[in-house]
Amino acid sequence: MKIQPGKKGLIINLLSLVVFALLWQLLVILARKDSFNIPFIRLRDIPTPVETWVALVGSMFIQLHGPGFTYGIVNHVYASLQRVIEGGIIAFIVGVPVGIGVGYSKLIGNLFNPLIEIVRNMPPMAWIPLSIFIFVSGGSIFIVFIGVIFPIILNTVQGVKSTDPRLIDAARTLGASESMIVKKVIIPSAFPSIMTGLRIGLGVGWMAIVAAEMVIRSPVGLGYFIWNMGDLGRYSEMVAGMIVIGVIGYIMNISILLLQRRFIKWGA
Amino acid sequence: MKNSLKILFVIILAIFISGCLESKKTPEASEPINLVKMSGQEMVQRLGTGEIAGFIMWEPYPAIAVTKGYGKDLIFSGKIWAEHPCCVVAYDDDWYKKTNNSDEILKRMALVQLRSVEYINNAKQSDSPDHAQLINYTMQFGGMTDPVAANLSLADVEFVYNTNVADTTTFIQRIQDFKIFDMAKWNQSGYKNASDYANSLVTNNYVDWAVNNKDENLSKLSLKEPVNIRYAYLVNDIHELPFYVGWQKGYYKDLGINIVLAEGAPFQNGAFEMQNGFKANTVDVGSLGIPPVIIHRINSNDFSKDDAGVGVIAGMNNEGSVIVVANNITSIKDLKGKTVGFPGPGTIQHVLFLMEAEKEGLTVSY
Repeated sequence: MKIQPGKKGLIINLLSLVVFALLWQLLVILARKDSFNIPFIRLRDIPTPVETWVALVGSMFIQLHGPGFTYGIVNHVYASLQRVIEGGIIAFIVGVPVGIGVGYSKLIGNLFNPLIEIVRNMPPMAWIPLSIFIFVSGGSIFIVFIGVIFPIILNTVQGVKSTDPRLIDAARTLGASESMIVKKVIIPSAFPSIMTGLRIGLGVGWMAIVAAEMVIRSPVGLGYFIWNMGDLGRYSEMVAGMIVIGVIGYIMNISILLLQRRFIKWGA
Repeated sequence: MKNSLKILFVIILAIFISGCLESKKTPEASEPINLVKMSGQEMVQRLGTGEIAGFIMWEPYPAIAVTKGYGKDLIFSGKIWAEHPCCVVAYDDDWYKKTNNSDEILKRMALVQLRSVEYINNAKQSDSPDHAQLINYTMQFGGMTDPVAANLSLADVEFVYNTNVADTTTFIQRIQDFKIFDMAKWNQSGYKNASDYANSLVTNNYVDWAVNNKDENLSKLSLKEPVNIRYAYLVNDIHELPFYVGWQKGYYKDLGINIVLAEGAPFQNGAFEMQNGFKANTVDVGSLGIPPVIIHRINSNDFSKDDAGVGVIAGMNNEGSVIVVANNITSIKDLKGKTVGFPGPGTIQHVLFLMEAEKEGLTVSY
C-alpha cells in the first residue's frame, strides 16, 4: 500500500477534500433554497461544512452550563481511543500466541480452527446485547477485543505458515530447539503479517467501539457523543463527531502503517 | 516519511494529552454525577444489579423498581418543582393547515382529554367502582404485571387537561439557562424571549371549548364525517394514560375520531417522536413531554418550512417523575461520582435533575 503520495499527490488529495466540502456546502444551500429536491432525503437538514466546523471548534473542550457538564470532543476521543487501545492490547496478547500455535502446530490448528471459523463470523456488533448483560463494566472493551482478535489470529496464522521452510530447516540443522525456532525464526518472519492483522483489527475495533458506545452506557465516548447530540437536535455537533471518528480512524491506520514501514524493514 | 511520522505522532500525542488533562479536570473541579441515557427497563434492571446508583424516570419505572425492592424513592419531581408541567397533547402544524376542520377535531381531542382525566381522578380512589378497571388499563398501558406497582405508579402523577403558559415559560428559560438550544436556530426562530415562545406554542382555546361542553353527550358533539388521526405516544408512559383511557373507553370514536397508531409509535422518548414523527409528518396529534416539544421545535426545525412546527392544545399530567436510588443512598449528594440513569438529554427528567443538582450545588455530566 502506497502511503507517500508525493507533493503533487498530496496537493490532489487536499484538493479533492476541498472540492468535496464545496460540493457539500453548495448542495445543502441549494436544497435549502428549494432549487432541487431528492425524495425521501432531507438534504436541507444536513449541516453545512461551515456550520460543522463552527460546531467542532465550539464543542472541543468541556463546557459547564449551570450545573451540567458537557464533555468536549477531546474527552470523547480520549475515552474511545483508550478503550480501543485496551481492547487491542488484550487481543494482541491473546491473538498472537493462538495464531502462532494454530499456524505452527497441526494439533492446535485442528483444535482451534472450528471455533475460530464460527466465532469470527459473528460481527462485533452482534456481541453487544450479550456484553451488556455479562459485563458490569468494560463491555465496550470486550467488543473491541472481539473486533481486533480475529484479524490478528488469521494474519498471524498466515504469517507463520508463509515462513520460508528453508529457514526452519537451517535452524534445526544448527541445533535450535522448537522454542528457539518459534522465537528466532517464526515470530520475526510472521511479524509483518501480525502487524497487518493489528492494523486491520484496530480499524474494525474503532468502528465497533463507536457502535458499542451508542448502546453500552457510558457518559463519555464518541459514539455516545454523536447519539446524544442527535437526541438534542444538535446536528452540526453530531456531524462534527462523525468526521472526527473518520479522521481518527484514518490517523490510526496510517500511523501503524508508517510504524510498520519504519521498524519492520524486512516485511516492507 | 520521517516528517509524516512525526506529524502523526504529535497529533496523537496532542489528543491524548488534551483528553487526559480535560478528563482529569472534571472530577477535581466538582465530582459530577454521571447521567447516562438508558431505557426505563434498563434502569430497573441495572439498579437491581447495582450497576447504577439511581435513576430519574417517569412512572411506572420508579414504582416497578420500588415494588421489586431494587431501590427506594428519593425525590418526587413535585418536590423539585411543585405542579411542574410534564406531558402534553400536541398537534402537527402541517396537518393543522392541510385539514379543513382541524379546529373542530382539536376541540374534541381536548374534550377526550378532559373526560379521561376526570375518569382517572375518580377511579384512582380505591373505593371507586372503576378502580379495578383503571388498574387494568394502567397495567396494560404501562406494560406491568403487578397491580401493586400499577397502583403505586398512579399515586404521584397529577393528571390534568389544562396547559400552563407561565410554567411553560419557566421551562423554556431553564432550557436556555442549560444551553440546550442551538443558538443559531434560536436566532432563526424570531422569538423575542421565553414568554414570546411559550405564548406561540400553547393555546387554551380548545380546552376552554372542552370545559364548556364537558357535560354534553359525546355522540351529540360527534364530527359530521369521521376522521382518522395518526396518533403517537411514548412507550409505557403512565403520564399518557388519559390517551389510553380515552381510546379504550371509546371517547374518540364517540366524537367521530378514529385513532390510528402513527408509524413508529409508541416512541422510546419525546425526541424521537418530534424528529421521526412530527417533523417527518407521520404524526397528526401526539402526546409527549413538553421539553422535547420546546427543544425540537427550535433545534430540529427548518425554519424556512417550519417542518417541526407543533402546537400544544392540552396538558396530560403534572409531576409524576421520581429520582429512585439504591437502598444505601440517603441523599442526592451521595450520588456524586456515581452513575445515574436518565431517559435522554432534553427530556423533562433531564431538566428536573439539573434543577435539583443546581439547588444542591452539585454538577452533572451528560
